[in-house]
Amino acid sequence: MQIAFDALMYPFLFLTLYFEVFAILTFFDREAKRRRTLKKSDTFPSVSVIVPCFNEEKTLRDTVSSLLGLDYPKEQLSIVLVNDGSTDATRQVMDEYANHPHIKLMHQKNSGKHTALNAGINASRSEYIACLDADSFVAPNALRESVAHFDGPRIGAVTASISVYEPTGMVEKMQQAEYALGIVLRHILSIMNGLYVTPGPFTVYRRDVFEKVGPFRAAHQTEDMEIALRMQRSGWHIHNAPRAVVYTKAPATFSLLIKQRIRWTTGFMRNCIDNRDIFGNPIYGVLGLLVLPFNFILIFFGIALFIVGMLRLGENLWQWLIHTSQLPLTELLHFPSLNWFFAPVSAIALLLLIAMTFAFGLMYVGAKISKISNPMMLPIVWFALLYGLVAPFWLMRAALDVALDIKRSWR
Amino acid sequence: MNSSIRNALIALVITTLIFGTGFWTAQTYNNLRLKEVRAIQDNIAIDILSLETQFELLGQLSCTNISENSVLSSELNALALRLSYTENQLGSENAEVLNLKKQYSLLQIKDYLLMQQVAKKCNLSPVFVLYFYSNEGDCATCEQAGNVLTYLRETYKELRVYSFDYRLDLGALKTLITVNKINQDLPVFVIDGKVNYGLSDLESIENVLPLEKLATTTNETDN
Repeated sequence: MQIAFDALMYPFLFLTLYFEVFAILTFFDREAKRRRTLKKSDTFPSVSVIVPCFNEEKTLRDTVSSLLGLDYPKEQLSIVLVNDGSTDATRQVMDEYANHPHIKLMHQKNSGKHTALNAGINASRSEYIACLDADSFVAPNALRESVAHFDGPRIGAVTASISVYEPTGMVEKMQQAEYALGIVLRHILSIMNGLYVTPGPFTVYRRDVFEKVGPFRAAHQTEDMEIALRMQRSGWHIHNAPRAVVYTKAPATFSLLIKQRIRWTTGFMRNCIDNRDIFGNPIYGVLGLLVLPFNFILIFFGIALFIVGMLRLGENLWQWLIHTSQLPLTELLHFPSLNWFFAPVSAIALLLLIAMTFAFGLMYVGAKISKISNPMMLPIVWFALLYGLVAPFWLMRAALDVALDIKRSWR
Repeated sequence: MNSSIRNALIALVITTLIFGTGFWTAQTYNNLRLKEVRAIQDNIAIDILSLETQFELLGQLSCTNISENSVLSSELNALALRLSYTENQLGSENAEVLNLKKQYSLLQIKDYLLMQQVAKKCNLSPVFVLYFYSNEGDCATCEQAGNVLTYLRETYKELRVYSFDYRLDLGALKTLITVNKINQDLPVFVIDGKVNYGLSDLESIENVLPLEKLATTTNETDN
């Protein structure tokens, strides 16, 4: 078991460290610095924000309020709320905005988020289309920051920095750290046009994109990944505005988190399979050569390491129980020796420590560049303690679902 | 050169350097461990040699003096713990580990022989336990027996435990095995010259230990 663990751990650590070092180097590129210091837009093209809603009665008001609070000329901004056949009081909440001059309401039979997005896009005539999930809330500067990044004709979409909305419990705080890492990685990958998702919480698209590559598709419940890959295929660039902050409601319990991540991971894997010709294809640059293969391989490393690690732990625990079962309880509760000789110093431990230090450093950087003021220490502690234990569950389930072609409902 | 390709190549070099540094640091740390084990062994060797020399030079050496200068079992315990940990870290096939184990076994045999003489001269009655184990996978209960023995020698300070890897290729050890007529049914305990097989749990080992004698020995030594 030890040999299997080492055989998995060394390549995993090498790949992780390589990706981290590559990310850090790119962070210091001149282009990355330019994008981080890009001024907010002084021009105000027309923008329609599409908000697909399915049973969003609890969060929709705050979402709309955040949109109405955007630092953007009202005459250039329209909001389209699309009710995708909600069965709760979403319709009644939407009706509260029936007479608002900049808000348009649409209702349709429940037919999926992608159809709600497409309906909203078709009903708007703006130069830019922004998509915002109905459980997410934009910061006032989000739109101006995003629009500023459309500084080239082939830039088809600009993603935002996503953070967790008012994280309280350990599950949400753990995700806060994860999202902070996501912020910096999204910023870095965008420098190399390596983004493969235009996240639902908030992304602004050039209208031409939908006219050239077509509308959103069901895409295994991850329409935001599918359209991003389709854009990449058509030669569009996807940029990121690190200071355009959007807050999203994160699952507050492990079971909800696992369910959400199973959907994300199965969607990722199925879209990867659909677009497998991108893998290793130099035409797609960093996306095809590094980003997608690395993320795909990481799933299997995560699963294998967890299984082997747990088996090893079980084996050690069993041996310990057998070998110490004869001794008095007081003997078993001895505090481990603090002598330097017995410190668990090994190549794997040291490399893991370096990889984790880089990851935590990147999380701090993510929070800093997006100017998110939430404290990061506790989220990082929860992330370090919990993420590696819980993530394998959704990875395993997702891999199983993909292997057995099991389809699950959204919620 | 495209900046992505440049970064990819530099990242490869840096990652390789980080990996190399990680391995080098771990190796250096292991070398420090080995150095510590060697240093303890050297100290014990000097102690034993000194005691042997005193014993030979001064036949009338006072027992109090001998007792004060004798190699403490705690020193051997500390060495045993460190050697065992190093063996786990580097593997039992590691040449340096094997060499250290041989030296450790020799030191134990010397200490055992010397302490037998000291006991005779000074009318002491220590309890000598020779423990033979194997960690080549052919002794299922050896680790349990070893843990019990560690506990016992921490509990009874006057118990003089000497543990030997039965499979170690060492002439003196083979002689010790032959002299005591020990077969391969490991683990084996030789307690005050009597060979015991199949013991691994606390109760059965305590049953064959002369616990009353241990208490008496403690008192005698303390005095």
